[in-house]
Amino acid sequence: MTTTIVLQQAINGVVFGSLYVLVALGLTLIYGVLVQINFAHADFVTLGAFAAYFFMHLIGAGYILSIGVAFLVGAALGWLINASIFTPLRRKGNELLPLIATIGVSVMMQNLMLAWFGPIPYAFETQYSSQVIRFAGIFVSWQNIIIIAVSSVTIALLYAFMKFTFLGKALRAVSQDRETAGLMGINPNYLIMLTFVIASALAGMAGAMLAPVLVLTPFAGTSVIVKAFAIVIIGGFGNVEGTILAGLIVGLIESYTTQFLDPGLIDIVVFALLLLMLAIKPTGLIAERREENV
Amino acid sequence: MSDSAISQRLGSGKTMLRSRPMGYFLAALCIIALPLIFNDTYWRTNLTICAINVLLALGLDFILGYTGQLNLGHSAFYGLGAYVSTLLIIKLGIPFWAAFVAGVAFAGLAGMFLSLFAVRLRGHYLAIASLGFAVIIYQILLNWISLTQGPLGIYGISPPPAIVVGGTVIADFRNLTAFFYLVSGFTLLVYLLLDQLVRSPVGETLTAIREDEVSAASLGINGAAWKVFAFGLGAAVAGAAGCFYASFVGTLVPDAFYVNEAFTILAMVIVGGMGTLIGPVFGAILLTLLPEILRGMGDLRLVVYGAALTFVVLFMPGGLVQAARMVQDKLRPGGRGS
Repeated sequence: MTTTIVLQQAINGVVFGSLYVLVALGLTLIYGVLVQINFAHADFVTLGAFAAYFFMHLIGAGYILSIGVAFLVGAALGWLINASIFTPLRRKGNELLPLIATIGVSVMMQNLMLAWFGPIPYAFETQYSSQVIRFAGIFVSWQNIIIIAVSSVTIALLYAFMKFTFLGKALRAVSQDRETAGLMGINPNYLIMLTFVIASALAGMAGAMLAPVLVLTPFAGTSVIVKAFAIVIIGGFGNVEGTILAGLIVGLIESYTTQFLDPGLIDIVVFALLLLMLAIKPTGLIAERREENV
Repeated sequence: MSDSAISQRLGSGKTMLRSRPMGYFLAALCIIALPLIFNDTYWRTNLTICAINVLLALGLDFILGYTGQLNLGHSAFYGLGAYVSTLLIIKLGIPFWAAFVAGVAFAGLAGMFLSLFAVRLRGHYLAIASLGFAVIIYQILLNWISLTQGPLGIYGISPPPAIVVGGTVIADFRNLTAFFYLVSGFTLLVYLLLDQLVRSPVGETLTAIREDEVSAASLGINGAAWKVFAFGLGAAVAGAAGCFYASFVGTLVPDAFYVNEAFTILAMVIVGGMGTLIGPVFGAILLTLLPEILRGMGDLRLVVYGAALTFVVLFMPGGLVQAARMVQDKLRPGGRGS
């Protein structure tokens, strides 16, 4: 009995963990290239979710296609925030001003969504939510399988892109040393734009997959982003492997806290871990290995 | 011109007011006159809320504007001050002013504790750690039901005891005007103290750390210790605001101290002009009264906060103070050029 519960919660943890990874990867990619934080990232998640919801319910399109739409909406938002906030502020050279400006964008977007969509949660049900596979006493819905599959494929593609393509290598070069990369003929402004587009597309997509398993309100993204921030710090800012590991750990912590302790304690446990990390090893889980490589 | 240069130039607020004693005199006059001009309950309530928000903005500005620490969890210290003082009064029967001191001290110590964690790291780490701290405090207030009554809230909190000298009541704080005088008088006092502090060698030390911590360290300044001190002081001021809030409103619910409140206070500081003390005062007054005036707009009125925050950072990073100076320079051609 207990083994079943542990396994069941492990699956739930991986489902949420992989979504957190998608959101946190965007934050960490942007931090890696620009050493900046986009606070409105959370609202890109929410808007991606709403885009998918309305695409499905107004046009009657399939769920998988609507994940693609959320991806595109996220990408467009990423381009927009880079062009309107980060590019103009980069010249001022203050490390905290862009973060403050995007907090403003986030407050604006949340309240605009609240005015348009209302505070009542939307029931985002897909045909996959009710289809359940039963295996050795464990229940897995197709929705969860889709989440795990799509997230893993996306993360693998992103990883391959960063490791093997020219653009990916250029991106890593820019995050290591923007000026030298510029001297090698890499256009940093183009790559920064590309990073925002990719990162935000991941957020939009995560929103489309998150909404059916969580509630869809104008504040849906906010509950996730706070954990994503914690994940980014626990994993090491700008570190892709660390972020993936930390995301899965936080997902598992969350599902086991819900099962064995109290759902109200989730944020407290996650942030206690964050503060502990800051006190003991502020470079994050995997940063040390990276330093050895240098 | 870099933003820090702007705020530095604005920091010498001599052009705003001809002389300081005159400025304080005018401020005191304003405080005395305001509740006499606005003599209905609605506006007197708003005035007191304004004074509380000014106090919050001053505390945050001291942390953010003077030591460059981006604190996204100011709501946590506000909430700690409110809950600690109220619980001490209700559960242990401690007198109001003793509980006030305890609430302020608790918030200040919490601020120092948080700052200790992130003080060695880049500004972004502190931003996220403080945001996380605010989330934790909110969750504790919400979930520790046996102590805080969770979302149900605490009701019937009494105002501070009346000041009685020789049998005559001098100030009864059930009276809105008396309460306003109490909070705004305290706020003026805090302003005076912070103003003295930032113009003293301590203020110069803090500015040096904000501008370049490494160079400051080479001059023998312990940057970490000063940052922790500044964070603690700013958080303590927020704690005082929380004590006043609880006894003024009479009701405490965790939602009053949700993270959004921290962003609201941040907007007040930024819109007013961070790194100056006078700026956040006007930022807080403007952003407290503006949504009241725009109440007919419903949910959209909160969009104003976000828009103000974003557009001020993009186009006028010195806030209202920078705008005022630009107008002043325009009006006096041949005066101080930039």
